[in-house]
Amino acid sequence: MILHPTVIANLLGSSVATGMVVYAAYHGAQILKHWNLQSGAELQLVLERKTYLISTLLSYVFGLQLLSLFLFVFTADSLTPLFVGAMCAAGTLNVNGFGYPTLVLKIVNFLLAGLWLVLNHADNLGYDYPLIKKKYLLLVIIAPFIVLETVLEGAYFFGMHADVITSCCGSLFSSEKSGDLGSDLASLPSIPMMWAFYATMALTLLVGGYCYLKGKAGYAYPVLSGLAFLVALASVISFISLYIYELPTHHCPFCIIMQDYSYIGYLLYLLLFGAVVFGMGVGALLPFRELESLRGLLPALIGRLTFVSVFLYFIFTSIVTYEIVFSNLIM
Amino acid sequence: MIELANVRKVFNAGNPNEFSALNDVSLSISENRVTVLTGPSGSGKTTLLSIVGCMSRPSAGRVRLSGREISSLPERFLTEIRRKTFGFIFQQPNLIKGLTVLENVMLPAYPLGEKRSLLKEKAMKGLHSLNIGAKASAKVEWLSGGEAQRTAIVRALINNPTIIIADEPTAHLDTKLSYRFMEIVERFKDEGKTVIITSHDPLVYESSMVDRVVILRDGKIEGKPS
Repeated sequence: MILHPTVIANLLGSSVATGMVVYAAYHGAQILKHWNLQSGAELQLVLERKTYLISTLLSYVFGLQLLSLFLFVFTADSLTPLFVGAMCAAGTLNVNGFGYPTLVLKIVNFLLAGLWLVLNHADNLGYDYPLIKKKYLLLVIIAPFIVLETVLEGAYFFGMHADVITSCCGSLFSSEKSGDLGSDLASLPSIPMMWAFYATMALTLLVGGYCYLKGKAGYAYPVLSGLAFLVALASVISFISLYIYELPTHHCPFCIIMQDYSYIGYLLYLLLFGAVVFGMGVGALLPFRELESLRGLLPALIGRLTFVSVFLYFIFTSIVTYEIVFSNLIM
Repeated sequence: MIELANVRKVFNAGNPNEFSALNDVSLSISENRVTVLTGPSGSGKTTLLSIVGCMSRPSAGRVRLSGREISSLPERFLTEIRRKTFGFIFQQPNLIKGLTVLENVMLPAYPLGEKRSLLKEKAMKGLHSLNIGAKASAKVEWLSGGEAQRTAIVRALINNPTIIIADEPTAHLDTKLSYRFMEIVERFKDEGKTVIITSHDPLVYESSMVDRVVILRDGKIEGKPS
């Protein structure tokens, strides 16, 4: 293990979050099992009081979970000078077999935590705990992923050895290789991917804008939002990174978070992950529009989520366009 | 109509000093009536009143207000109900020192965002109706006991509540002021408000304007209405 302040912060943060999520999931399971709002039994009233504690606790824990994705990537980037062969976070994540699985779980948990926060917010709007069972069911589903993430993260950091020679991002995300996801994405043809990116973003923004302005809600926007997220991630590797680096062969999705590129990667990923959480949050709330206590409240919340998601995708697309237009790279 | 169904309230549950203040209390309180909860000290009167007024939650049981179940409501909804439905008159006036009578009266209405000029007009009208309009600009620490009590009553009415809750309102008043208070209660009744009073003062529970007396002992309802 390498005793670096960011490593300690990651491990400490994950351990605290896991402890709290496990505690909350235990009480969540009790709520799932015993909740009955019609009952005036002592247990029911205890559960009603407990849900305040649990949901407040989880709001902070999942807020921390959202930040932990960026802290993890920042840590991997900070440790780069310690490993032979590593040029950025891509190499550091490859020093053992747990780096990339941890990153994938961090992304999955980011999305799940974001959805839980959206559900929790909607539940708190209703006077009769309208989504309580749904949100605690989601919590019970999320909890094992959070535990697994902490285990993998622990294995990753504890399994770091400074004498390991790792691969650089140029080899991990090379358009001349094939057989792994990074290289396959880097091999995607740039111009068709650019068309696909702009077509997806245009459609997402149009549908989102229409839904927001007309006050309509449907599953089209959440689906498009998820699709736009995937296409945007692939596009970052396929062609956006090329314009930022102004190099026709460098596809790394991690170098863009470095100081050399004004940390623009953090901004792009923040916009992208924020947009997809708000967009998919719309989809998570749609089935509950007709609940009595939420009927008058959910349309406004869905409208706000749609607006924020569309706005974030718009800013993301604008920054990408700016980078392409003002890049010295000509494809 | 306020309905309590099998309400229990236990303090320090699970500890050696556990105390059960209310035991399985079921009660219906009619609208537009004056109801007095009486009984010896420690019988659970104030606890019951605080549960009815959404100031505390039962350990078990449910409370319904006009058919709506309120004991399970999240705190932010209870705040709204407390603010708009209930007017509280406490044993002590609980006025805020350093502020004037008028400011004290207007204070509970500030969160509702009513226009200040209208609010001031309403507060002055209330103060005049209880003959303390002349003291509006006086600091509350200069008031006599009776004036402080009447100020507290006007404050309780500022948001035009439908239910007035008074906890031992005559405990610190002399006989004359106690009769004066009961006259004010009669006026509430005439205005169609529901009044719930806890008291072990015979002057209160033996008053002719009281519609129902509920006797509590050891956290249970003991007798029928007198």
